Amino acid sequence: MSDTDTDSETETEDAQTDGGGTGIVPPDDETPTWSERKKRKQGLSRLTYEYFERSRREDQDLRQESDYVERDVLGFPAWPHEMIRNLALTSFFVGMIMFLSATMPPHIGPPANSGSTPAIILPDWYLYWSFGLLKLSFLNPELSLLGGQTLMADRTYGVLANVVIVGFIAIVPFLNKGAARRPVEQPFWAAVGVSGVIFAFTIAVLSVKNIVPIGEGLLQDLTFLLPFVGAFITYGILKSMREGYMFNLNRRYYRLRPPK
Amino acid sequence: MADEFMKGFGILVTTSLLWMVTAGWYKTPSFEGDQLLGPAPEEPDIYAQLSLVIGDALLWFGLIAALVFWVVVPMINEFQAYRDERSS
Repeated sequence: MSDTDTDSETETEDAQTDGGGTGIVPPDDETPTWSERKKRKQGLSRLTYEYFERSRREDQDLRQESDYVERDVLGFPAWPHEMIRNLALTSFFVGMIMFLSATMPPHIGPPANSGSTPAIILPDWYLYWSFGLLKLSFLNPELSLLGGQTLMADRTYGVLANVVIVGFIAIVPFLNKGAARRPVEQPFWAAVGVSGVIFAFTIAVLSVKNIVPIGEGLLQDLTFLLPFVGAFITYGILKSMREGYMFNLNRRYYRLRPPK
Repeated sequence: MADEFMKGFGILVTTSLLWMVTAGWYKTPSFEGDQLLGPAPEEPDIYAQLSLVIGDALLWFGLIAALVFWVVVPMINEFQAYRDERSS
């Protein structure tokens, strides 16, 4: 009886998850079996084997002890795997806060005077993009039909620009459901996303144009050109990365339930 | 290579954190205006002198360590690999 025969036999025996097959990972040509993992003798591959073997063993013990419904989802238990990582990260940031609050000198200035208006009025930085959209008066067309008049006031135009941008962002999920796991799988939509990020940045810069050391016309041009430049570069790079990308491998790892 | 990156990064983060503390005490005259890079006190007492020296030393140590571990050491390794390849 050959090795492969014993493997397939033990695999059919049920609750034993160490069947020599690929376990709960859906198999294909490149998935190492448990016996292949076990043969690894050195370095990172050995460590990987030991880690997976231990969690597999814990998983098997838990399955045998419990009367709970059998689950076939690939995952590690929250305790201790996830909790140790979370505790390490939490301790780091709490430690950082305590260190800084203990060592930095206090700076408690005089109270703010609510009676006087500050010289520069700006919204919080994460609203600069919206503030910049209010300053698009240079795009408000002067129509010859109306005798050189604009169709609407500049402030109405700015509010409408906000409606257009927010409306576009709301429409995007209906145009593309986001089935891709990585940008390289859908270069066009990745390029659209990158141009959106760049436009958010450039329109934010436009909103503080009075303190940006660039000519106003140039700044206005860059605001609308840079997103397209970024989109073209992203599209080109991702298109060239598609060669050699293992679409099937990626799809397989992200599927939680193995095929029937 | 990841080890070299982590060495440089660890040194840079630790030293710049300590530099930030010394600069926060002695190179930040007021909350408004220059912070961390402001002018040093005119007549520093012994603690201020000590802190300024230690802060400068830490800052330069961190910057040079990052340069060494991220640029110089990998460059030497690459050069040696290249030389071994040619000689063999």
